[in-house]
Amino acid sequence: MYKKTNTINLETNEITESTKSIIRLSDNATIPFDEANRDYQEYLEWLAEGNTPEAADG
Amino acid sequence: MSTIAVNAITDANGGSTTSINGTTPNAYNTVGKNLIINGAMQIAQRGTSASISNGNSTYNTVDRFTNYVVDSTSTVVATVSQSTDAPDGFSNSYKWQTTTSGTLPSSGYCGVQQFIEAQTVQHLAYGTSSAKKVTLSFWVKSSVTGTYAVSVYQDDANRITGSTYTINTANTWEKKTVTFDGDTSGTINNDNGEGFRCIFHTGAGSDLTSTDNTSWGAYSGGKWAYGHAQNGVIATTNATWQITGVQLEVGESATEFEHRPYGTELQLCQRYYEAFPVINGGQSVALILLYRASAQYWLNLIYKVEKRAAPTFNLGSGIVWTTATPLIDLGKSSAIFLATSTGFLNEQSATGSYSFALDSEL
Repeated sequence: MYKKTNTINLETNEITESTKSIIRLSDNATIPFDEANRDYQEYLEWLAEGNTPEAADG
Repeated sequence: MSTIAVNAITDANGGSTTSINGTTPNAYNTVGKNLIINGAMQIAQRGTSASISNGNSTYNTVDRFTNYVVDSTSTVVATVSQSTDAPDGFSNSYKWQTTTSGTLPSSGYCGVQQFIEAQTVQHLAYGTSSAKKVTLSFWVKSSVTGTYAVSVYQDDANRITGSTYTINTANTWEKKTVTFDGDTSGTINNDNGEGFRCIFHTGAGSDLTSTDNTSWGAYSGGKWAYGHAQNGVIATTNATWQITGVQLEVGESATEFEHRPYGTELQLCQRYYEAFPVINGGQSVALILLYRASAQYWLNLIYKVEKRAAPTFNLGSGIVWTTATPLIDLGKSSAIFLATSTGFLNEQSATGSYSFALDSEL
């Protein structure tokens, strides 16, 4: 299971959904969206199985 | 002081193959010849002992070596550890000890392997007529004598070959050497992915040993551990298998193990995994928060070594964020954190040796 996370624009303080990482809920690890990262590869496989990550905290 | 100044050193017959202490120096067997990282098993950032059972390949103890037990019966359990039992000239070994024995199903397999980054092995010239032979040497010791398989695999072209070695005497360190031909057919991509893999089998079911792999060819499951004939380590409670002095080098013969300085070996490991130890007393970890604006704190964490790829950020055992998980942007050489609390990581209840770690393993 995974959970989306937020990011912040350091200039405007605007908080938006991150396009750079995801949280793995089993151990709270932060996984970057780098295709060479094996944890990200596992996440992509999980998505391909039809799963959906939880929404980021509001 | 004396000085030797010559233009060339040749052998007695006038050739150019002069040896020094039995080794002919060339571009591949001098400094940096060993393609295996942590072959002397000195570095264990994650800890010195762990239990493994049926599941995916995992890094548990000594750096760069990943363990696996694939057992659909979920019976076999092993303890893998960094041991101080080692042959002369070495201080550590990797130790496998079967704590719950079992009979592997035909599809089951166990062992330890190292993945080597592709851009590190471009000089092997795989996929060309100049593909080079490599020689794998290692010290091994087991409570169970017999024939064990060792395989090499290249992921980009999905090709494999293998060989076997024999443990002749129980509980005795023995040095083994295996040479593999160069693969003229399968190209290894010049990138930061997996390029080459060395696989030491501790157990293999019949489905994994059924197809000849003594020359390079397309991977099939039956080639995984061809020739492996001894599953006694897995089938015997408390049986052991240990290894150290692992060296993979270009050429047809094994040269002396390349003992790199500890700090050098640690840095080589940290390209793939970097752990930040818990600070004594549970004080704040080595993260210096910089004030930015009201109730917002950010920092830039610069890694000791640039990573192979952007790493996963892992919390250590017992470590928790004091409030919400901060926003983290992870790059290959640094990370940016943004938190809404000065209480960043709470390591008062740490049960492991590190506060957090950066994982970029293959």
